Amino acid sequence: MMHKIIRNVGRRGVLLILFVMIGVASFAQNFTVNAPNVVEKDEIFRVVYTADAEIESFTTPTLVGLDLLAGPTSSRMTSTRIINGKRTDSYEVSYTLILRANTTGKVSVSEASATIAGKVFTAKGVEIDVVGNNTSASSTQTHQGQVTGNAPAASQSSRNRGEISSEEIFLRLSFSKTKVVKGEPIVATLKLYTRVPVAGFEDIRFPVFNGFWSQELETPQNINFVRENYNNQIYNSAVLRKYMLLPQQTGEITVDPAEMICLIQVRSSGGARSMFDDFFDSYQTVKKRLTTSAAKIDVRPLPSGAPSSFGGGVGEFSMNVSLNRDSIKAHEAGALMVEITGTGNLNLIETPMVDLPADFEKYDVKSTNNFTNGANGMKGKKVFEFPFIPRSEGIFEIPPVEYSYYNISKGKYVTLKSDTLRLKVTQGDAGMQGGQIMMGVNKQQVVNLGNDIRYISTSSPRLAKKGAFFMGSPLFYIVIALIAVSYFLADRLLARGAKLRGDVKRTRNRKANKVARMRLKQAQLYMKENLHTPFYEELHKAMLGYVSDKLAIQFAEMQRDTIRETLEQKGAGEENIESFMTLLDDCEMARYSQSGGAGAMAEQYEKAMETISNLENRL
Amino acid sequence: MKRFIYILVFVLMAQLGYAVDRDSLWVRANDAYSLGEYSKALDIYGHIEKDGYVSARLWYNMGNACYKLQEDGKAILYYERALKLDPSNADVKHNLEIARLKILDKIESVPEFILVTWLKELRNTMSSDRWAWTGVILLLFTALSVLAFRFAPRRAQRKVAFVFACLFLLLTIASFLFSINLKNNVRRADSAIVLVPVSNVKSAPNSTGGNLFILHEGTKVNIIENVGQWSRVELSDGRQGWMLSKDFETI
Repeated sequence: MMHKIIRNVGRRGVLLILFVMIGVASFAQNFTVNAPNVVEKDEIFRVVYTADAEIESFTTPTLVGLDLLAGPTSSRMTSTRIINGKRTDSYEVSYTLILRANTTGKVSVSEASATIAGKVFTAKGVEIDVVGNNTSASSTQTHQGQVTGNAPAASQSSRNRGEISSEEIFLRLSFSKTKVVKGEPIVATLKLYTRVPVAGFEDIRFPVFNGFWSQELETPQNINFVRENYNNQIYNSAVLRKYMLLPQQTGEITVDPAEMICLIQVRSSGGARSMFDDFFDSYQTVKKRLTTSAAKIDVRPLPSGAPSSFGGGVGEFSMNVSLNRDSIKAHEAGALMVEITGTGNLNLIETPMVDLPADFEKYDVKSTNNFTNGANGMKGKKVFEFPFIPRSEGIFEIPPVEYSYYNISKGKYVTLKSDTLRLKVTQGDAGMQGGQIMMGVNKQQVVNLGNDIRYISTSSPRLAKKGAFFMGSPLFYIVIALIAVSYFLADRLLARGAKLRGDVKRTRNRKANKVARMRLKQAQLYMKENLHTPFYEELHKAMLGYVSDKLAIQFAEMQRDTIRETLEQKGAGEENIESFMTLLDDCEMARYSQSGGAGAMAEQYEKAMETISNLENRL
Repeated sequence: MKRFIYILVFVLMAQLGYAVDRDSLWVRANDAYSLGEYSKALDIYGHIEKDGYVSARLWYNMGNACYKLQEDGKAILYYERALKLDPSNADVKHNLEIARLKILDKIESVPEFILVTWLKELRNTMSSDRWAWTGVILLLFTALSVLAFRFAPRRAQRKVAFVFACLFLLLTIASFLFSINLKNNVRRADSAIVLVPVSNVKSAPNSTGGNLFILHEGTKVNIIENVGQWSRVELSDGRQGWMLSKDFETI
């Protein structure tokens, strides 16, 4: 039993060791080189090759323009850390070369290779900038007291008085570009350059970018100094802030300077210097106010002639338009997605114009950003979501979405255009909409979608000579004259007609009298001769003759009743008939009686005359 | 005699030919407009106008073309001209209304006596020619009524005829007055539209006169008198001033 446990433990131990071995072996994949970027001529510096596993063989790189003073010397370091019971082992082997540059300009250390656990690893070659050693004060090493001999005395003395020239420490705000168009991203870097030891900062005022949309790209918590060649001198430089700027105004924009107070350690070299002072350097902290120079950035406006679909985008973009579904039921929500991908001022682009069918209910546009900040502006994509609910079924076409941006590299506007999208809207669930029962048909107002002038008139133009009017024209006067003339003619005609109508009565009377007179001609003769009987015979005969002629009655059929009947039929009038009959009777009576004289005869004659005239008029 | 007939026929044919030519121009211009070539359409309409032939429809179409070309001042000018020839045209009124939305100047017009407004509205229901023809027909009725009055056989009929005659005579006179008034409105050319974007109205007819106010494109002014290159204009709110004659065009 016991030996079993021990055996188990033993086996586990072996396993454990194995794992550890594998773990160590698996780390052995790193072989790196560490060298300064910039050195001074004749400066002694180190190039260190580091691996995290035992190196079996190391091939020294070839050096150009460099003297190898010592090395490669190897050193090993092992460390074990246990934090909260978690153990971390690290193992490091480094080969150090001590070098000195013997020329100015670019020197290089070629690739070096090392064999680790049978595998060959290569560290890439490095190029080092060598600057002449005419510098007044030297770099990192200077604070060790290694002031080179040719340092100007003025600098030395000024430093003794606690003053540091602005050549030795300064702030610099640099821009990736100073001539840009509106909306073009710029990277601004605030850097501290120093050749003196810096103990700390106070009262930092970062630059204010008025007229820009700015975003901090780097805000380092720890300030890491890097050796850098600036104006052919070596400085320790550190990035304090890095900003991305998008100009929002045009013209020459001044960036307000940044300010800070630097605490600088200066070795005091007072008069009373003992040998201990020399040994224990005494330092004095000097405050120095650093200011960047005011920078000016020339922002040109975007060229004119921007397409109407221009959405303020500057950079390089592509667009993808899609529907979240190709087919949708009426009263269901759908969405059109417009995805703008690329680099540029993605955060500032406006919502593209999308022409959804007028019958769709539209909602507020949602936009999602997914981009990272970089030196060329934002990189990534911005998605605009246009939610909608179709209210009726059918196949709808969504016209192409156009979106224009300003392409900086091409220097012109580029218009992106999508394809026409088709959306099939099928009949929605009967009356159901979001759990709500719809009652009847939803009446809609006819909405005015736009306001435009009416279309031109296309029917006959009805052209007329300019300034020609019917009013006052010859035709007008002719028409008026025609009316006047026809009026007068009509008037005249009517008047004459009335007169003629009046005359007919008289003529007819006249005619009737004439007839009567003719008939009574003989009777008149007898009356003049005063022949009594012949007069009455003639009168009687004339009257019967007249009636017989007038009424076309045969003389033989002449009876009183026949005459009366016929006269009545012809409408001779009761009065006339009566007087006629009386006259006939009188005549028959007078023929046989001798009563009356010439007076009676004249009277009868007149009577007969009148009766015949009347009958003539009536018949 | 034969020769005379030939000449007559030839002249008539030529007249007909010109008419056909104008009609084809009209169709061509309308086609250009419908294709969106507004400046071409305007050009062809202009040819018809240069020929000396106009109509409310021609002015209306020219106004539309100008509106589409964003020349709002000219559009208003042409619409106003169309309205002068045909004051009752609803399309012209509608488009003029829309074109006026785009002009800058807002002038409060002096209110008119309500009867005058009514009379004007009544007058504007027909064009001058139509009023003239209406008058002619009414005159005919008047004549007939007078005849009826004179020759009707009965007394009652004559009375009615007399009333009608008086009524028709009044209407005839009114129609002729309206017609003459509309005609004179066209002939007088006393109103104008500002065609330059900005025009200074000065207190005197010379460039040294002080500026009184500024008018913008599309505003209507009444011309009172002309002195050299300057014109005395009046706004519908009663303000007056002197303006360069080339800054506007009469309707």
